[in-house]
Amino acid sequence: MSGAEIALEGVWKKFRRGEKFDSLRDLVPAMARGVFRGRRRPDLEREEFWALQDLSFRVGPGEALGIIGPNGAGKTTVLRVLTRLLRPTRGRCRVSGRIGALIDVSGGFHPDLTGRENVFLRGAIVGMSRRDIVRDFDSIVEFAGLETFIDTPVKRYSSGMSARLGFSIAAHLRPEVLLIDEVLAVGDAAFQRKAYDRIRDMVRGGVPTIVISHQLERVAALCTHGILLSAGRVVHRGPPSDCIAVYMQSDSLGASRHPDSTVQLDSVRLETPEPVRSGDRIALRVSGHVPASQSVDRRVVGVRVRDLGRGELIFATGTHTHRVPLPEGEFALEVELQMNVAPGVYSVETYTFHREHDRDVLDGPSTTVRVEPGSAFWGSVQLNARMELGSNGAGPPPEST
Amino acid sequence: MNAPLQAVRGTSTRFESAAGTPSLRSDLRDMFADLVDYRELLFSMARRDFLLRYKQAVMGVAWAVLMPVTYTLIFSLVFMRVVKIQTGMPYPLFVYAGLLSWNLFANSVRFSVNALVANSGLITKVYFPREVLPFSVVMVSLLDFAVGAVLLVGLMIYYRVGLHATALLLPVILLIQLAFTAAIALLVSMGNLFYRDVKYLIEIVLTLWMFATSVMYPVERFGGKFAAVLQLNPMTPIIEAYRSVLIRGEWPAPAPLVTAAAVSLALLLGCWLAFHRAESQFAERI
Repeated sequence: MSGAEIALEGVWKKFRRGEKFDSLRDLVPAMARGVFRGRRRPDLEREEFWALQDLSFRVGPGEALGIIGPNGAGKTTVLRVLTRLLRPTRGRCRVSGRIGALIDVSGGFHPDLTGRENVFLRGAIVGMSRRDIVRDFDSIVEFAGLETFIDTPVKRYSSGMSARLGFSIAAHLRPEVLLIDEVLAVGDAAFQRKAYDRIRDMVRGGVPTIVISHQLERVAALCTHGILLSAGRVVHRGPPSDCIAVYMQSDSLGASRHPDSTVQLDSVRLETPEPVRSGDRIALRVSGHVPASQSVDRRVVGVRVRDLGRGELIFATGTHTHRVPLPEGEFALEVELQMNVAPGVYSVETYTFHREHDRDVLDGPSTTVRVEPGSAFWGSVQLNARMELGSNGAGPPPEST
Repeated sequence: MNAPLQAVRGTSTRFESAAGTPSLRSDLRDMFADLVDYRELLFSMARRDFLLRYKQAVMGVAWAVLMPVTYTLIFSLVFMRVVKIQTGMPYPLFVYAGLLSWNLFANSVRFSVNALVANSGLITKVYFPREVLPFSVVMVSLLDFAVGAVLLVGLMIYYRVGLHATALLLPVILLIQLAFTAAIALLVSMGNLFYRDVKYLIEIVLTLWMFATSVMYPVERFGGKFAAVLQLNPMTPIIEAYRSVLIRGEWPAPAPLVTAAAVSLALLLGCWLAFHRAESQFAERI
């Protein structure tokens, strides 16, 4: 497996909005235009845009790169260049090692063929020899949990069934480099856990990996490096949790520039040194300012906590519940939270709203907190249980007579 | 992974893609390497196409024979009863042999028009050499050809036509035809991916082409300038060569067949190279 590597060197990729000529009727005028203007200008023409701009990275053995960013940032384009589906407009792309691509695993099956026929076909397409497929066939079917349906045409499968089969085939390719796009949410909960364990084992086994996912918690857990992409450019590069932090922050910053904003939220900072353990108290400082001549008694600054793994809001509070009046001018609000939550990555977001117009919520900056395992418990919330043996509870329960 | 790593054969495990056009030499090397690496996929794909062509069809592969048989009956009726023509052999043999080899070509072309577009789900998701798709169509047509050939043997026995030493040339003629067929299959499948007009155009072209080829009558009967144009069509010397070595027991005229072979090979190389160079745009443009 040594020498397996994924590398992009200064890759640019240009796309065209809308359709290019698809019938001969459009081709002739387009060719005529080409003749008059001289052919193939390297720069952008009308309707064209850069999907990737000067992207470089190198992923070697034992490394896993997580690429995050909003929709349309170019994440999928990166994978399509790496899987040889697209050729870069500029720059070079190099992959050494057999590619295992866990990308849209449920697509590409032929509906009229049975599961068995599709396994052999897909296996051949992704580069397994017939002998390898025969050897792994039972294992593939068992992993997908489709023993009883393997001779049924795929058109009668549920979407979950085809996704499971697709994942299972891809996972049996024994890849030397691994590309993963949003397949961490395949099938039901049990299968997701199984699939995730499989991926984690491959990554921990040292296979160079690229992960693309909106499940930021998974990215943080799987990856050693991170890249935050936005509009085809690298916005941030560093440890995955840093990228996630920048991502969440930039996300909210964009929303906070609201013309009607009365209370300005400037920053939120974690004052407690990391690592934060489950059950620890953390201190935050939210600073901002309230313009003069505003009736501030009705304005509220709030703090809410989001579980980045699940994207769920788990807690929210505000100055009104704690009876903290906001002064005019600059302010620094001290907030303390006890992180009675499961280990994971959380974002602490600030917001402000008017007490009489509940919908007028303006988002402020946010920060992320990585919670490490602390006091042991199972679940998502620490309920601080107490357990002890009662003084008369030692004996067996009284028998009914 | 828990399972011990075992070597998996096949598929080039390293690739580089960069902007710009690679050299002719590296392209030819890639084309050859891909063909070797993905030969198993070619057979799997042909198997799939064959299964699909006759799936949910009760008559199955019998359709491969029924079509040429119907045409043979119709043309025999016309050219034996209405307009009598001289072919130098029993007319049903003449026309069936012609239809059999013509269908190998025409069906390959007809089905390969859609070979890429119908598999857009695969083309936009997985990399593999796209040549596999039109080539697999040609392989399936070859299977139909083999099934139809059984009936030709039956017809030869019926008309008491013996086997001659010239039949040894059959594989060579078949190879020439396959080279030509594969070239056109590559061309139309690629053409249809970029311009869907090709799909409609090809039906007209095939119909005209059949009348310009010695399928149901010898085209030497056309005279004048038109005959010179018809000489360029490699399908006529190919079909004539089949008839010559199999039914007449004569060696075919060398000049037209050698020309057809040269044209076919040059065309195959040219079309394949064009296909290979356009391949990287398929996923974007389909």
